[in-house]
Amino acid sequence: MKLLARTNRYYIFFSIITYAIVAGSFYIVVEYLIYKEVDERLEVERRDFEHFLETHGYWDESCYFVEDKISLDAVGSDLSTAPSFHDTLMINRYSNELVPFREYRFINKMNNQSFRVSIRKSLIESNELLQFITIVMLVALSVGLLLLYWFQVRISKTIWQPFYDTLSKAKSFDVNEGQGLTLPTEDIHEFTELNSSLTKMTTKIADDYRNLREFTENASHEIQTPLALINSRVEELIQAKDLHDQSMQWIQDIHESTMRLSRLNQALLLLAKIENRQFHDKETVNVSSIINTKLSEMEEIFSHKGISVEHRTDQPFVISIHPALADVLVSNLLNNAVKHNLHSNGKLIIESKADSLVIANTGPGLTVPPHELFERFRKQNPASGSLGLGLAIVKKICSVYHLDIVYEMKGDQHSITIRT
Amino acid sequence: MKVLIVEDEKILADGIASHLGKDGFLTEVVYTYDDAAEKIHLYNYDCVIVDINLPDGIGFNLVEALRSIRSTAGIITISARNAVEDKIKSLDIGSDDYLTKPFHLSELNARVKSLLRRRNFDAANEIRFEEIRINFNARKIYVHDQEVLLSRKEYDLLMFFISNQDIALTKSAMAEHLWGDHIDSADSFDILYSHIKNLRKKLADKGCNDYIQSIYGIGYKFGKT
Repeated sequence: MKLLARTNRYYIFFSIITYAIVAGSFYIVVEYLIYKEVDERLEVERRDFEHFLETHGYWDESCYFVEDKISLDAVGSDLSTAPSFHDTLMINRYSNELVPFREYRFINKMNNQSFRVSIRKSLIESNELLQFITIVMLVALSVGLLLLYWFQVRISKTIWQPFYDTLSKAKSFDVNEGQGLTLPTEDIHEFTELNSSLTKMTTKIADDYRNLREFTENASHEIQTPLALINSRVEELIQAKDLHDQSMQWIQDIHESTMRLSRLNQALLLLAKIENRQFHDKETVNVSSIINTKLSEMEEIFSHKGISVEHRTDQPFVISIHPALADVLVSNLLNNAVKHNLHSNGKLIIESKADSLVIANTGPGLTVPPHELFERFRKQNPASGSLGLGLAIVKKICSVYHLDIVYEMKGDQHSITIRT
Repeated sequence: MKVLIVEDEKILADGIASHLGKDGFLTEVVYTYDDAAEKIHLYNYDCVIVDINLPDGIGFNLVEALRSIRSTAGIITISARNAVEDKIKSLDIGSDDYLTKPFHLSELNARVKSLLRRRNFDAANEIRFEEIRINFNARKIYVHDQEVLLSRKEYDLLMFFISNQDIALTKSAMAEHLWGDHIDSADSFDILYSHIKNLRKKLADKGCNDYIQSIYGIGYKFGKT
């Protein structure tokens, strides 16, 4: 839920509650005041009535002719009823409607006869007044609340604008750009603090990332340079004519090991760079056509090793990937399929579909669980000359580009399936 | 043929210089960016070998400087870093070739020669070695003026030998030259042996002497002795 929607929702909720409480209590207070006023008037009329009785000694109903204002009912000797106020409805003489009245009952003695006197007063004007006041009040309150709501929405939008600006910048932050965010100072203290801590954080992240990158590359460079030196010296050395066969063999071993070390270094660097997401340019790459190119380049090896190759292209397997990584992916998969194939009558079957790529090859059984072959330095044959990084790199590329990869084995058939 | 070598690692630079020197190149070695910048403005070279990472500058700028002064020198960049990106970038800004460290000196030698051959269009597009004549534009080989039909790899192999005469070549250098480093070394050596066997046979069939000598444990050497 959006921030503004949430605050608006709370605002509306509390407004309605406030509205109900204020309206209710206002109604009660006004009603109370009106009753109090009416009751006081009734008490005054009682005194008028008693005064009349004292003066005249009798009650003349004709004094009041507008309405049935005062009525007397003879009661027995029961004098216990205390004076009390009541609400009652009476029929209007002319319009034949029920009209609300306030009634004041008390007992009075006249000529030694007890009477229950009821003095009534119509509430119809008071009720109308009450309704009118309430409606005016509610309208005023509604308008007030609506205005406040409108202000609140406008103000929230203005106040939160820097926050949304910061948010959109934070979203577009790309660690590969090599620098942290530059966020402005705002009028609002908290946003300035937010911006400055975000600036600090992203700068730190960018710096750390750059350091890591540089460290990996520098370390790799520092390793490659001495290796290049050793190799150049070894090449000079083998030009010497007076070397013993045994020494030649040793030199050759040094040479091979240096080359291996250098390949290892390059593979680890590549792995680190994929992990650091340094290959961020994406292109739409037709993997099936890369496979075709590679297959023709490797033709010699296939014929040398007696591997029959089949590439079934149902539909080209097209993914969005850095082109250099697509190349690495295909090379590693094909090399793996060749390296671990049978020594005679091997097969390599590639199936390209729009959403999947299967590279299947014949090969001897596995001694390790298939999925472990994706781990670094995990090899089927620990003594083999391979680096044990090929499939780890494949796996890493797949995970960076969100591709599913599965290694399956059925009989002597090994297959690696990549799905988008 | 004048070659300028720009490489901050002294031992490697001197190794390259002495290796190329054996083939009759006049080599000059500089270890810093500033020295290199000065040299390329003062003198003309046929080929400049530039390391991208120099202590006081980036080799790319030298390549750009060379191209901006319309130098006719062939440029080979070498680097140990950022293999993929550096390669693309250096070719983009005008390098003719690119090598990743560590490389075989024989490979560098072959690249320099191939580059110089490509750049000297006006010169005869033929190389002669005793009874062997190579027309490298047409990629054709003649022995005693009879054409020898070689496969692509056999031709490349012979050119590699011709570029590195009298130099002991390791099997791995040859395999890498032919296939890059993408194939398993054990396989590539086997294929290499069969290519060398075929090359020898095809040359011998036309009455060519066998100039390919095996060196025990190491590889081969091509030459008269």
